Amino acid sequence: MILKRLTTQTFRNLDIADQTFHPHANLIVGRNGQGKTNLLEAIYFLATTKSFRTSRVASLFRFDEPGLFVSGIVERNALDRALSVGMEMEPRRRLLTINAEKVPLADYVNALSVFAYSSSRLDTLRGTPEDRRRFLDRGIASVSPGYVEQLTRFQRALKQRNALLHDIAAGAAPSFTLDAWDEEVSAAAEPIWNGRRLYVEQLSQTFREIVAMHEYHVNRIELVYRPANGVIPRGAEIRARTSLTGPQRDVLDFEIDGRPVADVLSGGEQKMIVLFLKFAKIELFRRRMDDEPLFLLDDIDAELDLDILQELLRKLPSQTQVFATSAKERFLDVLETSPHRRLVIENGRVTSAQDFA
Amino acid sequence: MTAPPLANLINELTKLPGVGGKSASRLAYHILKRPMIEAEALAQAILDVKTKVFRCSICNNMTDVEPCAICSDPRRDASTICVVEEAFNISTIEQTRDFKGVFHVLLGALSPLKGIGPQDIDVNGLLKRIRDGAIREVIIATNPNVEGEATALYIAQQLRSTGVKTTRLAFGLPVGGDLEYADQVTMSKALEGRREI
Ligand SMILES: [Zn+2]
Repeated sequence: MILKRLTTQTFRNLDIADQTFHPHANLIVGRNGQGKTNLLEAIYFLATTKSFRTSRVASLFRFDEPGLFVSGIVERNALDRALSVGMEMEPRRRLLTINAEKVPLADYVNALSVFAYSSSRLDTLRGTPEDRRRFLDRGIASVSPGYVEQLTRFQRALKQRNALLHDIAAGAAPSFTLDAWDEEVSAAAEPIWNGRRLYVEQLSQTFREIVAMHEYHVNRIELVYRPANGVIPRGAEIRARTSLTGPQRDVLDFEIDGRPVADVLSGGEQKMIVLFLKFAKIELFRRRMDDEPLFLLDDIDAELDLDILQELLRKLPSQTQVFATSAKERFLDVLETSPHRRLVIENGRVTSAQDFA
Repeated sequence: MTAPPLANLINELTKLPGVGGKSASRLAYHILKRPMIEAEALAQAILDVKTKVFRCSICNNMTDVEPCAICSDPRRDASTICVVEEAFNISTIEQTRDFKGVFHVLLGALSPLKGIGPQDIDVNGLLKRIRDGAIREVIIATNPNVEGEATALYIAQQLRSTGVKTTRLAFGLPVGGDLEYADQVTMSKALEGRREI
């Protein structure tokens, strides 16, 4: 799939007006703070309605602006589709459309698939358990179109059960409907656990293959998935006024000899591991969906093994549309020596766009 | 400035679900342009539903006769009860013409987030009907969303001791959906494929 055009309104500092892109590589240059990364954020947001740098969507709004809007034209299987995301801050509202028709999130997110890598983001290894669950969930959603809906259903059921536990503890509700909610939450949790177990299995294997292929020296990393499916006495949950077991407490760890990768590896090594994981996710997507996603590359720094990064990029099928930022004038050779468009960003606007064959 | 009586009508119309300011004013101007007889018919229809329609004492369906047309129809099989959340769900099931039994309207679904517990929906009325009559099957047709499923599970648990066969509609509908949006074919299949829970 290809992103052909993009428009943004009051999205951070950006003012992108129906910008067209190169089907293969788009190299985005500009001084720091001009909006290079924001352009990648806008593309990621158009695809997922989320940010790739933060879990807080609020940070995408421009100061003192109540809403934001991003739209684009996506080509897939020789068919153009118009996508748009509109969001209002207060009250939080979101309007998603495909070809000007309002669609639910679960349908919307399947229209455009994007993977983003930023060498300054190591949340997958260093962040909270929630960051790693998000890493997992976004990966699963990319290969199983129904997963977003299953996750939404589970979260809704969990919220209801937690509200009930709270009311029971407060003496405001009888406890005899808890059985029904237990059953509903379990039923909703099952596909989440199955999806995560299967995805970790496939991701581990693909990750190991990629690491081996590039003969990277750190090659004993294990992805350990620990579903929180133990049995907790009900009394404890009522006292805690919240559910103490379930997918919301699942743990995904990256370990070497039983120790967290974040404690053992250097910063540069961790960046490489996150990069390999990203390419493993892309590989799983390609196998399952029989299509090429967009790849966003932000913040390439000297700590990365650039030879391996180039090799990884070279191995991507040529139909993969890449967007890369750089504060310097120079990019990776593999991007600069093939056909591409160079977009200069100044003060949130694209001031020049030039094609190189 | 909008004339006060017109502004008043627009204001009343915006209180209706799904009607925003723009459509309210479009409706109000439309009413204003139409002949008096149409306005009177609309006003009378609104007053009539409020004065002549009430809940059936057996099944909670909206009716103007007691008991409702379905409960009093001798051709209907009173030993099969289909349980729905709201009275308007009845028409969704009726349109299939496959269901020959009677209904029970719960008047809602369990939702701790909204403070709706078992005492706020009419499960007791259903249990009473089962104790009083010869009921062979209860088909639970609550919405296929989280609240509807939990309500179905709760009712099934309550019915377990009665020994009555309890079934749940088999939905080809996306989970999280609403009965309201099910078409005739989907509903027919859901009824036909119902499973015991
Ligand atoms: Zn009735």
